Amino acid sequence: MEEKNPQPTICPYCSLGCGFYLKLEAGKAAGIRYMPEHPVNEGSLCPKGNTVLEVLNHPDRLKYPLKKTETGWERIEWEEALDLAAAKLKGSLEEYGPDSLAFLGSAKCSNEENYIFQKIARLLGTNNVDNCARLCHASTLTGLGKTLGTGAMTNPISDLACSECIFVIGSNFAENHPAVSRRVLEAKEKGAFVIVADPRMTPTSWLADLSLRLVPGTDVALLNGMMHVIVSEGLVDREFARERTKGFAELENVLQRYDPETVSRITGIPSAEIIKAARAYARAGTAAIVYSMGITQHISGTDNVTACADLALICGHIGKKGAGILPLRGQNNVQGACDMGALSEFFPGYGKVGDPEAAGRMQALWGAKKLPESPGLTATEIVGAAGKGKIKTLYVMGEDLVNSHPDSSRVKQALENLDFLVVQDIFMNDTAEYADLVLPAASFAEKEGSFTSTERRVQWLEPALMPPGEARADLEILFRLAEKLGLDFPYRDAGEVLEEISAAVPAYGGIAKERLKKDFGLIWPCPDAGHTGTPVLHTDSFMTPDGLARLVPVEHRSPAETPGPDYPFLLTTGRTVLHYNAGSMSRRCKSLLKREAELYVEIHPADARTMEIREGNKLVLESRRGSTKATARLTERVSPGVLFLPFHFPGTNVLTADALDREAKIPEFKVSACRIRRG
Amino acid sequence: MKEVMVRPERCMGCRSCEIACAVEHSESKDLFAAVMEKPTPQKRIYVEYVPEYNAAIPMTCRHCEEAPCTTVCPTKALKQDEITRVVTHNSDLCIGCWTCSMVCNYGVIGRQKEARVAVKCNLCPNRDIPACVEACPTNALVFIEVKKLAGVKRTEAALKLARGMQGKAL
Repeated sequence: MEEKNPQPTICPYCSLGCGFYLKLEAGKAAGIRYMPEHPVNEGSLCPKGNTVLEVLNHPDRLKYPLKKTETGWERIEWEEALDLAAAKLKGSLEEYGPDSLAFLGSAKCSNEENYIFQKIARLLGTNNVDNCARLCHASTLTGLGKTLGTGAMTNPISDLACSECIFVIGSNFAENHPAVSRRVLEAKEKGAFVIVADPRMTPTSWLADLSLRLVPGTDVALLNGMMHVIVSEGLVDREFARERTKGFAELENVLQRYDPETVSRITGIPSAEIIKAARAYARAGTAAIVYSMGITQHISGTDNVTACADLALICGHIGKKGAGILPLRGQNNVQGACDMGALSEFFPGYGKVGDPEAAGRMQALWGAKKLPESPGLTATEIVGAAGKGKIKTLYVMGEDLVNSHPDSSRVKQALENLDFLVVQDIFMNDTAEYADLVLPAASFAEKEGSFTSTERRVQWLEPALMPPGEARADLEILFRLAEKLGLDFPYRDAGEVLEEISAAVPAYGGIAKERLKKDFGLIWPCPDAGHTGTPVLHTDSFMTPDGLARLVPVEHRSPAETPGPDYPFLLTTGRTVLHYNAGSMSRRCKSLLKREAELYVEIHPADARTMEIREGNKLVLESRRGSTKATARLTERVSPGVLFLPFHFPGTNVLTADALDREAKIPEFKVSACRIRRG
Repeated sequence: MKEVMVRPERCMGCRSCEIACAVEHSESKDLFAAVMEKPTPQKRIYVEYVPEYNAAIPMTCRHCEEAPCTTVCPTKALKQDEITRVVTHNSDLCIGCWTCSMVCNYGVIGRQKEARVAVKCNLCPNRDIPACVEACPTNALVFIEVKKLAGVKRTEAALKLARGMQGKAL
């Protein structure tokens, strides 16, 4: 371990990849120092980043492998633990075939770890390997994939500072990606016009010049409405549409039906505001679209993303500095986990499963006789299949399904139904409680590897500390597991795995450990050793076979579940600044809990009045799936008839439904029908 | 003389400054130890949420000239440095009478949890830039001379005016 003090590191929370230093004392992390020279956060950190030491040094950290016995958890040796895991995997494989196995990778683990993880799954003969991108940005992969040719952020975050118009739809970056606000405010200082479309009035809406409060689930209508205005007012970038895209005529055809008055009726936004937004976006010299889970987590997630791409394409706002489409991803390595092929339908580098050429390439690289040919089950489908008894053994690396998947009760039933469940994590999360075997993993500061941020920036993380107790880096655990499974892996460390990755993933062709350690990493595509990275995508051509982008018309569809007489409220979910995702980390930080202690529900004061609900009352929320308790918070941030729950606490996803987007298979977390009563 | 200046229109209410402040003013300066520490490390900056106006405003000591807290303090626990004009608090001299808190126009003099002594911003004497400023993700807090911030704001206002004159305002 190289001794540096303070040791530079990367924040393990969201996808921005903010840098800071860990101050070390006697082998312990004793403080953080800000890193003003980092290109993303310029030193600043959000409250989660600021409290990260509380996670690192937490007494709840898992320290030893644990086996579930009739009398409770029993501490066992690593050797026994890995023998057991390997035996169970092999047992299922022999008895029920490879598709009785499933693997959930982790957007919190490094590229190398996810690469090895999916390689193990595929060499065992199954494509049932996925990661939590399925729950947040699977629709970005499908939507941007079919329009632009690649499902990733087109421009770096710092580019926002030179946008003349920033159109934010379904993203509350002020709370969830705070360092992004820095750039948006910089742009505003230079006179940029900021539009925020969100059903709620969020801190992001506070900085908007125009705030559009749409009915949840009507994003396609709004986007089509804006495009209708742009087409009918002649604001289309004709040259760009002609030279660089295909399909304008079909799109124009569909857009005819989305005049501002019709769209206003669907979305609840006054037509004048739709027109104003369309003009501001189209007329700006450079305009960027920022979106996040408000767009992706719908049954129309792929369509929503596609409509965002269509809008950028017809205005020519793509392929240059200050423009582009910026999907803000959720986890520190969710981009990387996808790039590495921890996805049921993609090999590393997005070669499609089922395409013989892509399979052939991997087969040759891995020296494998045969790879499974049909796409595997997605994360959400794995849970369904486990419930039906089709999946026998599930291996989960760093994820809490119970709190992050929709319909928690059904997830719990599915986990109980498994023959064997392995959970590898840093904490005993609610999913690990259902496991037969729990393996203690190292946290971000205790291991090495590369991580890919939302802006495609690949950074190298160096170990600063030793893991607690007998906890081990995920990569080390996987190496030893592979050995027990009889797989012959030649690598000794993450650097060597990255060498294979650069051969497997074309965009990582020139990425190597030594290069990443300098200058805050490289932004992919970086195809060869002399290449310095590609901050802006699609400058000359798109990543489609013919280099042209596709304009794909999409239609508005109502959400799967709408409020009715039995369940009169529309429940939407999201995040708050003080907590993070399923909460297994942030709910262990006292400084954060002090400021946000428990599950609350936002309700409009008018609704509260009619139901005689006061601030702080305990409420019971019920949906068709289950019920949960939350404290009432009266606020005009939500519209009448809408309730908002943060999803960082157990209980929220007891209520949500598992209706899926057809293409991306992402669940519709953003809309469910719900009722409330005083508890 | 640089001061902590607040640009309230930029605050998103994330409270990162509060956490950074509490850690900086802990014995250990280590966040993990800090949460366990007694006396409890205390913040000296307060993010106030104003729901009626959809705004969050960080409130911190303005280190006023002829600061009322210093002029009323009966034990001289609160003092204004003659050169830097920073208002500091000496807890050894503090008798917990709260006169300072009563006269402060900004309500930024708090109380130590375990002891009857006042707690207020001391501009982080051990740092080049106060912790709250360095942590702020949106630059709502800046450590800058008044003259300079006024200059920055003038430039921004002039830019907006110039844009308006050319009919470019949206």
